[in-house]
Amino acid sequence: MRLGFAVAGVLVGALLSGCVPPQKYNWGEYESSLYGYYRDPTKAAQLTAALDAIIQSAEQTKTFVPPGVYAEYGYLLYQQGKTADAIVFFQKEKALWPESAFFMDAMIRNATDAANRKTGADKK
Amino acid sequence: MTLLRRNAWVVLISSCVLVGCAVPAKRSDYTALRSENPRSILIVPAINRSVEVNAADYLLSTVSRPLAEKGYYVFPVHMVRSVLDDDGLSDADLVHANSPKRLGQLFGADAVLYITIEKWHAQYAVFSTAVVVELSYILKSAATEQVLWKNQQKVVYQPQNNNSGLAGLIAAAIVAAITRAAPNYIPLAQQANQQAIYTKGSGLPAGPYNVFYKKDQEDF
Repeated sequence: MRLGFAVAGVLVGALLSGCVPPQKYNWGEYESSLYGYYRDPTKAAQLTAALDAIIQSAEQTKTFVPPGVYAEYGYLLYQQGKTADAIVFFQKEKALWPESAFFMDAMIRNATDAANRKTGADKK
Repeated sequence: MTLLRRNAWVVLISSCVLVGCAVPAKRSDYTALRSENPRSILIVPAINRSVEVNAADYLLSTVSRPLAEKGYYVFPVHMVRSVLDDDGLSDADLVHANSPKRLGQLFGADAVLYITIEKWHAQYAVFSTAVVVELSYILKSAATEQVLWKNQQKVVYQPQNNNSGLAGLIAAAIVAAITRAAPNYIPLAQQANQQAIYTKGSGLPAGPYNVFYKKDQEDF
């Protein structure tokens, strides 16, 4: 009987490990906050806070920030006019995920132009 | 074996089947995918054939995670959607009409995932409600434009009416009313994605950031 339980335990373990592999990344509230934002666009602050929390948690534990999260966070800053801060996060995305380099370079150019236009307008 | 323990096994095995360990009926052709070996996937906004106007946006919140966990670089979906919007591509039909080569060049992506929402609705009856999500997925190469992978998943959620008699009917009616007020499609969309991507024989092989990268030929 005891052997039966042991076999059952191994089988359960095998089944479970075959079903849901352990998560590579800590996604925090990524899905629920993005869904919440699409349901109610006034909840942009909650989305920004959720992405910030994912980044903080990964950086503190020295684990990988999930693909796209630095960029997503940077883009929210960009939309708020915080272009210099946005560029920092676009660069972080590019450094962590080389596949994003082309897109991030384009966004960094875009944000730099926007920042230059802003300082130009301020001088006038 | 007692009846109770047998029931436990049935529950365990059926729950396993639900999350995507079912024995595959057919095996997909992975020749193109294996030879192109994409590292990055661009998820573009889904075409929505359902009556729920916001379904495509809601769906977008659920696709990145399972693909990234499979080991691919997944472009930031909300940012991609906004950038396409700014470039006059706010309509998903228009986006899907664009070649994967052009979309891939815009973002520097290896492959483009086109999703169509076939069904996203609740079927109402007096005492029960069934919520249905059906999605079809096509991954195309941004280099050669060929189809690298495709799949289709339908998930139906029907609250179980376990209690018999009047009490059971009342309980089912309460569940139906809740679902009617605010049906939550997200768990169904998540399950559809999970099954589409993870089912052996028809799912997506591991990408470069997964430990099974190039080691899962037996399954895919």
